[in-house]
Parts: sequence; C-alpha cells; structure tokens
Amino acid sequence: MDRKKRNRFIIITAAILIVLLVMIIITGRRESEEPIRMVMKDAVLHEHAKINFFGIIDANPALISAYTVTAIIFVFALIVRLFVIPKFKKIPGKFQLVLEQAVGIFDGLATSNSPHRHKFLGAYVFTAGAYIFIGTMFELLGVMAPTTTGGTIALPAPLADINGAISMGVFSYCVILSGGIAGNRIKGVLNTLKDFSLPISMSFRLFGALLSGALVTELVYYYVTTSFIIPVFVAVMFTMLHALIQAYVLTMLTALFYGEVSAQEE
Amino acid sequence: MPLNIDPQQILLHLFNLILLFGILYVLLYKPVHDFMDEREEEYKKREKDTQDALDEAEKLKSEYEDKLLKAEKDNADLRAKVSNEAESAREKIIADAHGKADEIVDAARDKAQKEHDRLIARAQTEIAEYVSKAAERVVMEKDTLTDDFDSFFESVESQKGEADE
Repeated sequence: MDRKKRNRFIIITAAILIVLLVMIIITGRRESEEPIRMVMKDAVLHEHAKINFFGIIDANPALISAYTVTAIIFVFALIVRLFVIPKFKKIPGKFQLVLEQAVGIFDGLATSNSPHRHKFLGAYVFTAGAYIFIGTMFELLGVMAPTTTGGTIALPAPLADINGAISMGVFSYCVILSGGIAGNRIKGVLNTLKDFSLPISMSFRLFGALLSGALVTELVYYYVTTSFIIPVFVAVMFTMLHALIQAYVLTMLTALFYGEVSAQEE
Repeated sequence: MPLNIDPQQILLHLFNLILLFGILYVLLYKPVHDFMDEREEEYKKREKDTQDALDEAEKLKSEYEDKLLKAEKDNADLRAKVSNEAESAREKIIADAHGKADEIVDAARDKAQKEHDRLIARAQTEIAEYVSKAAERVVMEKDTLTDDFDSFFESVESQKGEADE
C-alpha cells in the first residue's frame, strides 16, 4: 500500500469513527419500551409475540420460520431438480460440485458411522444438516412478520424455539430407534431405549446453542451504543458458527448412535 | 407448559420436518446420490476394463516373449544343425577329394610305371636291335673290329644313359 492509499484509508476510517461517535452522543441512552429482562424472556419463550398460523393457531414465530425455510428449500430443490440435475456432467462445474460435496459429506458421515446400514441415515442427516444450517442462516435475513398483537417481529431461526428443537431431537431419536429396529429388532429397541435421555439432550443442546447466539445478538442490539456496525459482525459470526457447529453436532451424534444401535452383534 | 412447550406446535414442527425430509430426499438427495453412484460405477467399470486390457496385454506380451524365446532357441538349434551338416558335408567333400586325389595319384603312378616299363622294354628292344646290328657290322668288317668294338660299347652305354633318363 503506497502512502497516498494509506492516508486515504486513515482519513476514511477516522471519518466513520467520528460519525459513529456523534450518532452515539446524539441518540443518547434509549429509554426502551420494554426492559431487557422482558426482551430476553420473550426471545426465549415467545410468550407474547405470536403469529397466526393459517388461521389454525397462534404459533410462535419460529414455527412460521420453519415452514418458510421448508418453502424456500422446496423451491430451491425443485429448481435444481428440474433445471440443474438433468444437466449434470461427469466432470462437475462449481455449482454441481457444491451439491455433490453436500450430499457426499453427509453420505460419508453416515457411511463412516454406520457402515452396515446407512442409506436412510445418509438421507436423514443430509436433511437435518441442511435444515439446521439454512434455518439458522435464515435468521440473518430479518424477515418481518405481523404479530397477533398488531406489531411486527423479525422471524427467528426455527430451532431457536424450544418446540422446534424438541421436534428435531425427537425426530432424530425416532430415526435412531428405526435403525435399532431394522438392525437388531427387539434388542435394537432396547439398546435405543437405554439412551432415553438422548432426545432431551439433543433437543436442549440444539435449543441452548442457538438461543445463546440469539440472546447475545439481542443484547448487542438492545444497547444503542453497541448497535452500530458491531451487530453486523456479531450476528453474522454467531449465526454462521452456530449454523455450522450445530448442523455438524446433531448429524454426527445421530449417525453415531444410529450406527451403534443398528450394528449387528456377533 | 413450562418454557412455553406446546405439543401442538411440536407436532407441527415434526410434520414440517417429515415434509422437508421427503422433499429433500426426492428432489435433491436421491438424484444427486444416484448420479454420483452411476458415475462411480462407470469409473469402476472403466478401471476394470483398463485393468483387463492391461492384463490381456501383459499376457500377450508374455506369450510373445515365450514365442520369441522359442524362436530364438529353434533358430540356434537350426543354425547348429546346419553348421553340423555343413561341417559333415565339408569333411565328406574333403575326404572324397582326398580319395580322388589318391586315386589320381595312384593312376598317375600306375601310368608312369607303365610308361617307364614300356620305355624300358622299348629301350631293351632297341638295345638288342643295336647290338644285333653292331654284331652284324663287326662280322662284316673284321679289320676295323677293334675300333668298332670300342665304339660299339660307347654307343650302347650312351643309349643306355638316355633310356635311364
């Protein structure tokens, strides 16, 4: 970097910092409409902000997020199935490579953890991984939805809701149970039931991990002095980390337990 | 329920998950996986074909090497056989030549001996004739008997010397 560019960089950075400081001083300490405790509690429990779900029930925003994510994935998968997969080549292009890598990674995870029975497991961990990753990244879009109280709310990650996390944990446990039944019949069922705490631990691990990220972001946003620039990094970093780590952890645990209960003992 | 746990919402989430599983399996996972499997199978088949072709080539090479070795051995045997035959033929020719040479020499000797005998015989005949003629002349010319007798003997000796040569 030559001297001219360096000076320009210093001047621009200094200008941005000064503008931020001025904005912080001008805005002062915000008198929030609701205290931080309420904000945090609502982020965890979703007791107040509800969204009407097709006129059936007043659901937590995460349920709307879950169906929205499914709709997005469905449209994406349909486009890929109709227009991309028929044009697959023996030597893959960039997009084909990404798709093959995604399928290959989860298939490899299933194969390595359950070498004797992995076809269904591979499909499941692929779905779970894609859902956790895309669902968590969906939070970054900040899609707004109307609440039943007349306000609006940014849709959270589907698994930041305890109900979503429990359903994922229970579904994973059912998949593990199915592996036990397919591999060892009654003995497989008993082996699976032995780990009865598994759905609870999986659910709350997922919920706690995703919620902690949401809470930190919520805290950063709440205080105006930290609500400039910083949330951009904090939100993106936390969300991406959780998306990757939780997708890996849940799929890896499911594959591990599936392989364990479905392995035929000699 | 504590923590706002709602069984109805859990079931709705489960329904959503199963729906998503079906969508992703049918639209994305299975087609991509099938494509990857087909490609893997094709590459395995190619690899097997290549390996078979290599094995076949190796087998052919081995066969050709054996044939080459056998041909070289046959060639060497043939060369040795031909060489032996040539040697035998040479020896036979030489032996024949020696035989013929001996025959020629013997024939020449016989011929020379016969010629020699013939010349001796002829010389003896001529000597006898000369002696007879000389005796007649002596008898006819008594006065020159002594001189003639000496010249007669000289003549006979010179004749004999010529005949010996």
